[in-house]
Amino acid sequence: MAKLMPGLAAIFTDEHQVLEAARKSRDLGMTKFEAISPYPIHGMEDACGIKRSSIPYVAFVAGMTGLLGALALVWYTSVYDWPINVGGKPPFSLPAFIPIMFELTVLFAALSSVGALFYHCGIPRVDPPTIDPDLTCHKFAIFVPENESGYEAKKLETFYKSLGAESVKKVEAY
Amino acid sequence: MASHSTHELQVKPFEPSSLFKVVILALIAVGVLSFGLGLWLSEERTWTSYLVSFFYFSCLGLGGLFFAAIQHVVKAGWSSSVRRYAEAMTSFIPFILFGGLILLLGAKTLFPWTHEDVINSSSLIKAKTAYLNIPFMATRIVICALGWFAFKWFIVGNSINQDQSGDHNLTLKNVSLSIAFIAFFALSFSFFSVDLLMSLLPTWYSTIFGVYCFAGLFQSTFAVLALMIIFIRRAGLVKGYVTVEHQHDIVKFMKGFTVFWAYIAFSQFMLIWYANIPEETEYYIMRSQNGWLAISFLLLIFRFIVPFLALLPRGLKRNDNHVIAVSVLILVMQYLDIYWMVYPNYNDGMIKFGLQEIGIFMGFLGLFLLGITLFFKKYSLVALKDPRLHEAINHHVTY
Repeated sequence: MAKLMPGLAAIFTDEHQVLEAARKSRDLGMTKFEAISPYPIHGMEDACGIKRSSIPYVAFVAGMTGLLGALALVWYTSVYDWPINVGGKPPFSLPAFIPIMFELTVLFAALSSVGALFYHCGIPRVDPPTIDPDLTCHKFAIFVPENESGYEAKKLETFYKSLGAESVKKVEAY
Repeated sequence: MASHSTHELQVKPFEPSSLFKVVILALIAVGVLSFGLGLWLSEERTWTSYLVSFFYFSCLGLGGLFFAAIQHVVKAGWSSSVRRYAEAMTSFIPFILFGGLILLLGAKTLFPWTHEDVINSSSLIKAKTAYLNIPFMATRIVICALGWFAFKWFIVGNSINQDQSGDHNLTLKNVSLSIAFIAFFALSFSFFSVDLLMSLLPTWYSTIFGVYCFAGLFQSTFAVLALMIIFIRRAGLVKGYVTVEHQHDIVKFMKGFTVFWAYIAFSQFMLIWYANIPEETEYYIMRSQNGWLAISFLLLIFRFIVPFLALLPRGLKRNDNHVIAVSVLILVMQYLDIYWMVYPNYNDGMIKFGLQEIGIFMGFLGLFLLGITLFFKKYSLVALKDPRLHEAINHHVTY
């Protein structure tokens, strides 16, 4: 994701065509290509063969860290270091700690999910390369990097043209 | 929108097997028998057991209507094929009126505030007599039950009429009806749970009590919906319209409201624990003595922690047997929760559970299944002319 690669982009004007093209590309055994769309397309992750990301696991681990971290925090401050008698309750009163544990669980899980999402998507990116400005509006593209297995510009051009691509062009870096 | 719905679509008419019919009738017979026998053996146990089961199934009936109403209000497309299952659950709602009237016969046994000596013993209860008296309570139950019945009649009725006419205006009409129902439900269900459960301990009050009961109601509603989705699919009655994708989303809801229940239960508990005011803490003190503490912890573990962790992984939400197990666990815990709210007030605070509780529960279960069976015998299992059905057919959950 991080490294920019020269390659080839096929521009489509129809959502169904790009979905079909992604599916056909995967059937050819390609794994590194990307589908570019101005909005999410139902079934696209399946068509591209994208596996589930690690975000759920990151969220779970971070949530558990928050839960236990909060318990350690309140235990250290309210039980160990500076116990205060509040309403005659014992210093270690779990019900009073649960709101803090809950909040830190949510905070850690939420922030780390967003962080993991940014990492997986490679954003934010300063001055991102552009294939075609219309891709943020009403056009779709399949980008195939040069290091894709079986990459052959001529063959791919006719392949995507036959699938209804409006144009196929060379891309310096994406 | 994915346009390729290559899977086959099929809805077969529901024809209950003779074994199923016999089971339903046997359940109802057991219920009637244990109610009659129980009244003769131990009046108090019978009425408390009746109250728990009556409240349990009233919740499921109302939960079905509430789910359908929410889908109408938000104009949900994905759920338009599952909505009929929830509408089938509402066929218990007519029984709420009759069951509620029968319950009033046991009011003298159930509700301590019906006795003069209890009223005179506490100025707190005396101050509540303007609200806590049998005529006013009967009025409230009748208004609630009739109101729910009327909303069920129109909202579910519109959906069923659409099966014949295909008129899109019926969908629009249901939006405003559903908004009215949700407002009415919020108030009426609070009254219903306060009257039937909270007033069993007339000196105690909790302002979040209605929400607590609602949390259990909605969680168990999703458990029933998940079970219906799986069993109807296994019976091969519906193909294509209701898929594992719908099951996944219903189970997501179930997990969400598992957390919601824990959140509300803890909110109620923590404020009372923290403030430590005698007239509020008595509720939890009763539930921490004579073995009730174990049941309180069972609720915490098996109504929140276990279902929450068991429903976290994506793959398990799509695994039929796993979902069946968790749904049954949640339904058992919903019974235990209502039991936990009612029973500590009787039998000198001791735990009493036996054939009387099981028998009457089976009777109500029979009635509930009877309602669903009759509903599906008469109407299609899927709202086939719903204008948003195409969204439900193409529904799929991204990961």
